[in-house]
Amino acid sequence: MLTNYFKIAIAVLKRRKFFTFISLFGISFTLTIIIVTTAFVDNVISNNYPEVNRDRSLYINFLQQRNSKFGSEMNGPASYYYMDKYVNSLKTPEKVAIASLFMPVNAYVNNKKLVVNNKFTNEGWWDVMQYEFLEGKPYTQQQIDNGDRVAVITDDLKKNYFGDVPAVVGKFIEVDNVQYRITGVVKSVPVTMLISYADLFAPYTVSKSDYKSKEFAGIYSAVLLAHSKADIPKMQQEYADVVAKIRPDRKDFDQFKSNADTYVASFTRQMSNENDGTGLSFLITVAVIFILFFMLLPTLNLVNINISRIMERSSEIGVRKAFGASSKTLVWQFITENIILTFFGAVIGILLSFVILQAINNSNLINNIHLSINFTVLMFSLLATLVFGLLSGVYPAWRMSRLQVVTALKAQ
Amino acid sequence: MIRHLFKLAWNKKKQNFLLITEMFVSFIVMFAVFTLMVFYYNNYKTSMGFDYDNVWVANYTPPQNITTTDSFQIFHQSLGNMVRSMPQVNDISFTSANVPFAMSTNSTEVSFGNNRHIRTNVYQTENDYKKVLNLKMAEGRWFTDADKITGKYTPVVINSKLKESLFGNTAAIGKIIREEQFDEVPPADKYRVIGVAENMKDKGDYQEVENGMFVAIDTGWMRNAGNILIHVKPNADAAFEGRLSKALSNAIGTSIEIEHLDKKLQSKNLLMLVPLIIALIVAGFLIINVALGLYGVLWYNINKRKAEIGLRRAVGASGADVSKQLVGEALVLATIALIIGTFFAVQFPLLNVFDLPAGVYITALLLAVLFIYLLVLFCALYPGRQAAAIYPAVALHEE
Repeated sequence: MLTNYFKIAIAVLKRRKFFTFISLFGISFTLTIIIVTTAFVDNVISNNYPEVNRDRSLYINFLQQRNSKFGSEMNGPASYYYMDKYVNSLKTPEKVAIASLFMPVNAYVNNKKLVVNNKFTNEGWWDVMQYEFLEGKPYTQQQIDNGDRVAVITDDLKKNYFGDVPAVVGKFIEVDNVQYRITGVVKSVPVTMLISYADLFAPYTVSKSDYKSKEFAGIYSAVLLAHSKADIPKMQQEYADVVAKIRPDRKDFDQFKSNADTYVASFTRQMSNENDGTGLSFLITVAVIFILFFMLLPTLNLVNINISRIMERSSEIGVRKAFGASSKTLVWQFITENIILTFFGAVIGILLSFVILQAINNSNLINNIHLSINFTVLMFSLLATLVFGLLSGVYPAWRMSRLQVVTALKAQ
Repeated sequence: MIRHLFKLAWNKKKQNFLLITEMFVSFIVMFAVFTLMVFYYNNYKTSMGFDYDNVWVANYTPPQNITTTDSFQIFHQSLGNMVRSMPQVNDISFTSANVPFAMSTNSTEVSFGNNRHIRTNVYQTENDYKKVLNLKMAEGRWFTDADKITGKYTPVVINSKLKESLFGNTAAIGKIIREEQFDEVPPADKYRVIGVAENMKDKGDYQEVENGMFVAIDTGWMRNAGNILIHVKPNADAAFEGRLSKALSNAIGTSIEIEHLDKKLQSKNLLMLVPLIIALIVAGFLIINVALGLYGVLWYNINKRKAEIGLRRAVGASGADVSKQLVGEALVLATIALIIGTFFAVQFPLLNVFDLPAGVYITALLLAVLFIYLLVLFCALYPGRQAAAIYPAVALHEE
């Protein structure tokens, strides 16, 4: 039966080449755009180098101090003091990474200016984040305690600063008028990794801002690594209990809020206007509505084309009906045919996306990003294809199945 | 003729419903794209209002070890003098973090008379700020040392846009502006206008001019300053920048970053253009898709009506008549779609969604209408011509 439908579908495709081209063009390009977008989103939000442990990590990116009477707020990252006192002392996490936001500073070599993004971290950073060391190793707790001016740099910075030299461990690099001794070189991270991106990593003890300052507001964020995924709610709860006891450090505020969230939620919470809730569901709703609207036009187009194509075959339908085929059988046949067509489109679409993703990876649009069609993306696009095929096939098939045998046959 | 065409379209309303929906959605998409483009273009056309060539900005973290206001003043004075004394430097001004083309903004709400809750950017400036950016004054004057003596009201320079929002066409110089406060406390008189500066498009080429208010930095605020705008001579190169960075680093002791305003403008523009480029790619793809689909459907419909067309030709209609009728039918469908579309589109200026000027929406609406008509015309022309070429004998014979 299915092979029969398949054969018919191929025969129909061959008959009106122009219509086939329009259908395939519409399907493949729609899918390409969806696949490229999901590949990008997937790259940004899922476990990727160096944040491979994201699914068992929680992020603390900002504190909020609020005056409930006037509604004034102060939002921002925390100080090292805060992170050390309230976050580092949590019992549930296996490891706690504390690092400053990346901060652009300048380096001058050979009459050339480089913009270097600095990040100051604790020792746990190197355990939570799985950077790939091309040479050397991270700095140790001992070096951090001593306040040694040591640094781990990325291979991009190495290339820009030193040129093509084999090894730079032990050499000195001058950034922001400070001489750092290089202890290691890691593979570069794309800027889309907002937390782990930087060009130069150094101990927090050598940061120029005073890490001992007892103010809550600062430049640090933290990543908590749980022993297992199951520990995440427990870790979240422990931090919430700690936060409940903290009072704002400034007199003009009376409320204090901070949350340990999963990666995406830690950003959507900052953007959402609500005081509670992560804003994640809102984001997903908007994305879904947008994708549906985007798919509306190609679908309408396909429906129009399909109606034309199906009506063209009214004699075939008339004959089949006259010989006793039920409407249901016919509807199924046309939907199957349409899904076969959409799957052809999907194959072209996937090939096309592969080419486009390669082009994005090779162009320097975003440095060091590596987009790929992975399993999740593939599954999503196949699901999208199925929905697409159903959406554009159901209405024409229904219209067709209601044709009267007589009219259908007479149309010839 | 037109009534007849409408009747023909109405008779096949079920068949045409999907075509109309498709045109309607295409119209909405194009309306959105054109709105964005018209908005960008309008902004691009307005002049920058200041010079950013050879202007650098040095960002630093204010040092924490200086505690008293007095010592901060001395610190800034010597820091400023040191930079000014460098041979490649023309003028400098300490300022707040909202330097031109920066991400950070600083704003407050002001009011005058019945014009309440007017949101405006606030720029902390020094006397030389105007020289550094080559700002033009529309009326009144910029700050002088005399303004440092604190009177009852803080002297401010406002930009033309804020002047219009607050005072309309009446004079602004010497007027007192109030600042809105939290918690429904009535606004307090706070600022006295001493000058009106030309608008400064400081958020990037494609961004709107915003309300702006310049305030002279007072000694208390100075400790928050973390940015120095520096107008350098054209011969200032990376070697000089390195020396400047080192000198600043030694004097301040915290992290220093030096940026060039022209580079900042580039990255700011890119940030605005990327969404537009993506929207254009997506819309372009959708429109090609729609055009192909419309063309296919119209072509198919005409093929199906061969008998009807043959009959018309047989009773004396010319080829041009037939093709005119078919193109006309398509345009009638487009008109119906556009009427529905326009109904939705005019809600944007009427309800003032997204806070864009009404002119932008109306231009975009007209462009989108024109675009859809052209698209439909383009798609109907060839099938129409084909229909005109039908020979009555052949068409009637088929029957």
